[in-house]
Amino acid sequence: MLKKILFIFVLSLLTHLASQAQTKNTLNGYIKDASNGEALIGATVFNNELGIGTTTNVYGFYSITLPAGNYALEFSYIGYTPIHQTIELNKTVRLDIELLSSAKELQEVVVTAEKEERKAVSNEMSTNKLDMSTIRKIPAFLGEVDVIKSLQMLPGVSTVGEGASGFNVRGGSVGQNLVLLDEAPVYNASHLLGFFSVFNPDAVKDVKLYKGAVPAKYGGRISSILDVRMKEGNSKKFEVAGGIGTIFSRISVEGPLIKNKASFIVAARRSYIDVLARPFVKSLQQGAGLNFYDLTMKANYNISQRDRVYVSSYFGRDNFLFDRNQGFSWGNATGTLRWNHIFNQRLFANLTGVYSNYDYHLKFGENSNDRFTWNSSIANYIFKPELTYFIDSKNELSFGAEAIYYTFNPANATSVSNGESSDISLDRKYNFESALYLGNSQKIGKILSVDYGLRFSNFNYFGPGTTYSYNDTIPGTRKAVTGETTHAKGESIAAYHNWEPRASFKAQLTPNSSVKGSYNRMAQYLHLISNTTASNPLDVWNPSTNNIRPEIGNQFTFGYFRSLGKETQYEISVEGYYRRTQNQIDYIDGADLLLNRYLEGDLLGGVGRAYGIEFYGQKKTGRLNGWISYTLGHTELKVDGINRNNWYSTRYDQRHNLKVAAFYDLTKRWSVSANFVFVSGTPTTFPTSRYVIRGMLIPYNANDSRNNVRLPSYNRLDISFRLEGKRFRKGKERKNHSYWVFSAYNVYARKNPFSIYFSQVDQRTPAGQPIPSQASQLSIIGTIVPAISYNFKF
Amino acid sequence: MKLSYLFLLLFFAILLEGCDDIIHPTLQSADPVYIVDAFINNKLDTQVVRLTYSQPYLEQQLPPGVSGAIVTIADNEGNTFAFLENASRKGDYIWVPSGTGFGKVGNHYTLNVKINLESFISRSKMGRVPVIDSITFRNGDRNSGNVDFNLGQFWAIDPAGPGDTYWIKAFKNGVLLSKPQEMNLAYDAAFSKGSNFDGFTFIQPIRNGINPFDTDANDRPISPYQPGDSVYVEIHSLTEASFNFLTQVAIETNRPGGFSELFARPLANVSSNIFNENLQGAKVQGFFNVGSVSGLGKRFVK
Repeated sequence: MLKKILFIFVLSLLTHLASQAQTKNTLNGYIKDASNGEALIGATVFNNELGIGTTTNVYGFYSITLPAGNYALEFSYIGYTPIHQTIELNKTVRLDIELLSSAKELQEVVVTAEKEERKAVSNEMSTNKLDMSTIRKIPAFLGEVDVIKSLQMLPGVSTVGEGASGFNVRGGSVGQNLVLLDEAPVYNASHLLGFFSVFNPDAVKDVKLYKGAVPAKYGGRISSILDVRMKEGNSKKFEVAGGIGTIFSRISVEGPLIKNKASFIVAARRSYIDVLARPFVKSLQQGAGLNFYDLTMKANYNISQRDRVYVSSYFGRDNFLFDRNQGFSWGNATGTLRWNHIFNQRLFANLTGVYSNYDYHLKFGENSNDRFTWNSSIANYIFKPELTYFIDSKNELSFGAEAIYYTFNPANATSVSNGESSDISLDRKYNFESALYLGNSQKIGKILSVDYGLRFSNFNYFGPGTTYSYNDTIPGTRKAVTGETTHAKGESIAAYHNWEPRASFKAQLTPNSSVKGSYNRMAQYLHLISNTTASNPLDVWNPSTNNIRPEIGNQFTFGYFRSLGKETQYEISVEGYYRRTQNQIDYIDGADLLLNRYLEGDLLGGVGRAYGIEFYGQKKTGRLNGWISYTLGHTELKVDGINRNNWYSTRYDQRHNLKVAAFYDLTKRWSVSANFVFVSGTPTTFPTSRYVIRGMLIPYNANDSRNNVRLPSYNRLDISFRLEGKRFRKGKERKNHSYWVFSAYNVYARKNPFSIYFSQVDQRTPAGQPIPSQASQLSIIGTIVPAISYNFKF
Repeated sequence: MKLSYLFLLLFFAILLEGCDDIIHPTLQSADPVYIVDAFINNKLDTQVVRLTYSQPYLEQQLPPGVSGAIVTIADNEGNTFAFLENASRKGDYIWVPSGTGFGKVGNHYTLNVKINLESFISRSKMGRVPVIDSITFRNGDRNSGNVDFNLGQFWAIDPAGPGDTYWIKAFKNGVLLSKPQEMNLAYDAAFSKGSNFDGFTFIQPIRNGINPFDTDANDRPISPYQPGDSVYVEIHSLTEASFNFLTQVAIETNRPGGFSELFARPLANVSSNIFNENLQGAKVQGFFNVGSVSGLGKRFVK
């Protein structure tokens, strides 16, 4: 199979090289926003007569090679006025284009229908792109615009419930998503457990989620890739934006460092409830703390026509201190350095270096005689050269490599009891992950386009460290340690490699409709170890070891895409997917996951499968616009030792998942947004019976089943109203722009179930009396939550 | 690590509170299974093995006792102790010590329960326990700002040698602190095997685990101990299997609700060390542990 793919790959490459004989010239350059100089990702360069074109990459760069001649080209981007230009292509032409935002140009109520990016034409499938203006419109919990919560309005994306961190894509677990912020992996993308995500909306430019058909340049997780790109900063003028919300206050400053050559953005957010509460809450004055904040920074410099460097960084923390000596905190820190280099008009290169660190600290104990401290971290250093070779108008070859060095520090912990101290730290783990990839995007005739590629990934776990071997026991029970091996520094403890083929095709049936399909295989070498309903900040990431094998995911997708209506303002799609996964991790009952050197003895391995069909309909323009998404899906695991070794639905398995997002412009200044969510109940486990041991009422499931019952369904409506500040004052246009957002989450105050749990009534029952038992249903947010925020820009 | 209460605290702090409603779901029905409750110790009290049936989860009645069984415990020295059915309470099989308590530290024991042609079997070993050196009280506000908050603490040192496991029980004015969140278990001097805490004074959360944190009618916290209250602390030895069992029981029974549900684990059956000698025979669940006990009491005077 693999050899065949390679063979076809090489063959098709040779064919192109052979066809290069004819004189061809290249047009290349950047496409940017005229108002602030931000690069436009995915802008189109298109020639209508020949039906050929290209799109800009993530840095706004495009390159197209055509036979010498004159071409009438259209440069366009969603929401921007297109530019038509005839190019005389008798030599290499560098052409940087700046497009004007149509929203800015025509301050009209009706969003005009410019040439839109159409899914039916694009090669991509199983991807969703959310631009910040859409994310801002979605009514948000407590009025805080949130990237990750917005993703949950998309088909195929679900969550275990409100307040849970992360998201689930096509039946994958939270830990199977790679979350990238300017190419730096973010290990915990949440503030306040799971209520808010770490991305500052003022600093984010573009959000793209790959649910399938993942290009070969991405790897490392088996479910999805969330690629969040930060703004570069306005290169034309200074701009200050900010807002005061219910939870956060935000401020961002951006502007040119050297006009049109270098720019920066600095954006910060901080929760301020503790500041407001300090005068009233004594413990806050005595050292208790409760806050979370983040700082996002980026700068770029256009060294020359061919070179551009970017440096970006994120730093965020959550602090919960009960007093000066007790509490915990966690946070991510990332730094990304990128260098774009145009080797020649057809060869674009980007070199990325990344540092990313996630850590948490806990400390307890009222005095130095009795205390407990625990620090944990994951640090990684990434080096990633990526090249794109724009062979001709029909082929775009991308290739590159990735190298990641990880240091896992699961626990640097000390416990002191009555003055005696014990070091209870766990061994650090050192790993090296590397990958090589090659992919080509090819148009074959007028109808067919194919993308194909191969990624070869490698993972090494090396010393120093101690590893354990475990016995085989009854599945589902703790494995006992049978041996211990100490490894020297640099010694290879475990090594894995995987070939990851990726392929997709598009058949353009008519100008407005297409059929697409894909296959991809992905390997994941890091595992999020979590056996709770929602993942929490102390969950430990664990690398693959001698006992934990890499997770493997295979996915097939097939879909139909169509644009409809005048100026193709409607877009509909149907996509089916089927995933099989291997080496999925589950846990023995009563597993001890924290500070446990014998953790691997509590882990179980199994397989997973997920399948579903996603329907998506979007109206892109007009006074009323928005989308409807419906997913019919199923996801299951089969793990020896759980559910009598039969398949069981995962906690995030949702049969029906319906989401409606609608935006309506009421007047020039008022607009309203609403979203509605209906999700069928997620699985949970109910007991059948009870019994008493030593006066404790123990729940018992006589069938030994997992997730045997469904919670009641979930539905919710959120509404928000937005009031734009006056644009004119005394006939003059105001320099600053501001708006208010009034929102209500869970408008009809439905008590949506998060879980149903069983317990004995909270009392001490005297011996000889029956212990009362009860079932309780928990709603995380069982009420309407109103919020107001004020946002400004000048 | 009992972190759930921290998360809970955290959310109270930001005034977000989930809401819990009592509901009455229909549960799948299941045939009753035999339940053996056999925690035996060397105190000079009557020792009881209870044999009952499981019942539907939401049935608010005493578990039905099973009579007519033959219950024996044999040790590795060739002694067999017969546990005889208690005429006054169905399902109780008792052994009454005369002068000395049951068993000897270090000995191995085999429980056998014969009922209706079924034969259930289990094994245990009596472990050691440290003596309790003292009990102290201190005025601690636990961040409540309440100066009248009095906390008790017991002091004991885990004997050297890893792998000792204990169940620490506390009685306030003679009443066992029996709420699920009051279960106080120790692996050596700390919480778990991975903690590597052998031969130390029990860590503070365990020493402090003898305090009832109750609230009054207005939901205000009340001091665990007030002048005149007495506390009695017992350390019971466990086998490692029993420790794992009770750890699971704590996970399954301690469901305070609210935001801690975010970090709840899926409901699962706790382990059992009682086996039917006939694998095709009737189902049985339960636990057998033979433990030694040390104890100390103290009255709190201001």
